[in-house]
Amino acid sequence: MNNDPTRRLYLDALAESLEEIAVEAPKASLRPLTLTAARVRRRPAASVSGWTAPFAGRIAAMDALLGEVGEQDWGRETVEGWTLQELLAHLAAKDGLVALSVGAPVLGPPVTVDEALARTAELQEYERRRVPEQTRRDWRAQADALCRHLAPLAPGAPVEVSGFTLPARDHLLARALETWIHTSDAAGVAGLRVPDPVPEHITATADLCVRLMPLTMLASGHEVPEGRAVRLVLTGPGGGRWHVPLHPGGRAARGDGPADATVTCDVVEFCFLVGGRAAPAGLAAEVEGDPGLARDLLHAAPALSGP
Amino acid sequence: MEAPVTDDRLLHQRVVGGEEAALGEIYDRFASLVFGLAVRVTRDRTASEDITQEVFITFWERPLAFDPDRGTLRAWLATIAHRRAVDHVRAQERRKASVLGPRLVEPEPERLEDAVLSRQEADGVRLAVGKLPDNLREVIELAYYRGRTYRQVAEELGLPEGTAKSRIRLGLRRLADALAEEGA
Repeated sequence: MNNDPTRRLYLDALAESLEEIAVEAPKASLRPLTLTAARVRRRPAASVSGWTAPFAGRIAAMDALLGEVGEQDWGRETVEGWTLQELLAHLAAKDGLVALSVGAPVLGPPVTVDEALARTAELQEYERRRVPEQTRRDWRAQADALCRHLAPLAPGAPVEVSGFTLPARDHLLARALETWIHTSDAAGVAGLRVPDPVPEHITATADLCVRLMPLTMLASGHEVPEGRAVRLVLTGPGGGRWHVPLHPGGRAARGDGPADATVTCDVVEFCFLVGGRAAPAGLAAEVEGDPGLARDLLHAAPALSGP
Repeated sequence: MEAPVTDDRLLHQRVVGGEEAALGEIYDRFASLVFGLAVRVTRDRTASEDITQEVFITFWERPLAFDPDRGTLRAWLATIAHRRAVDHVRAQERRKASVLGPRLVEPEPERLEDAVLSRQEADGVRLAVGKLPDNLREVIELAYYRGRTYRQVAEELGLPEGTAKSRIRLGLRRLADALAEEGA
């Protein structure tokens, strides 16, 4: 039944009546009561400021999505042939490996192999014997424990996770990106929409993606000589401009510098490209300057994305 | 004034991301409206406080039920508030009725909290339109069910545009009164 004009009429009538309502505030104590009750019904993000906030925000968003999925959605296949429950076990496995590296609590059975897919299999086997709500609770508890452990620490401290050493901040941003992407995978399967992160969290995540470019070029077999660089202009909320030297060990940074090519595209699409969720050829990117270098950059971008 | 949509979008992103302060801001912006609407329908301040609390908690707990592409946050909150207020009044009626005899109204099943009108709500709106005085019903039907602009409504009825506009507003106000009476 299409009740669109009726709905519009209903909303306009409500809006009109709100104009003439004697605006009257409810008692002042209702505000704290409401906020306290809300916190009990849905747990807030483990942190909302500082360097752990982009990760905490994606965990809260995924949890909001999980609150909406129906019983039948948990057994539905998402990506990699995994059900939603197995996908969540995969996220918990990788969060747990970061936790293991930094000395935060690790949930689930003891870690026997410090490698992402092996630990994923281990945790998936464990979780398959439990109900999805338990998997969800432990996944959330693992992520929050990691966040709380890291929040007071220095973001620049080098951390080795499964043989890969990066500043703690970058490991956590990689977790944020992966959680964001799998939330989008899960939302697609459940037929729901999850809004993008706030612009500042998008900026932090995009910054990680941009800084990975010299590594993705190398991983894709492009030996770029020193001096070759690209200007990345990422558009939309949370976007910005980056100067990206592409030789091995090149350090990308916000701002401008001499570049052989300029690539302009949507910031969210760029993050999803790096996360392996967009075909480089299908990306709506504008290129100026050296088209070969730009093409190599875009084609190499997903090189580090795995399950 | 209607809050800009980009503002709604950002508040929604913050709430989905688990930022409690965003719920506080939304409460500060809309609590009086939600409460006022609930009082208008229920004529009961205590019940209206419960409804107000429930409306904001619902938004926090199930933020994906709101879609900024489909309407403003203000309209969404108003819809949920009105719905909850009418439900409250109906539950009161049921309580009274059950003392007197068999249940007269079946309880409604749990609804998905989105802004799509239920059949009953839509019927209520149509019924209320039917009861408007002719001069108001005419302009409302043209503007909403025949998709006419203010100017076209005025031209078709041979009225000054200002008159057409104020009749539409008056019609909306009468409708809102009727909808508020729905439960009472």
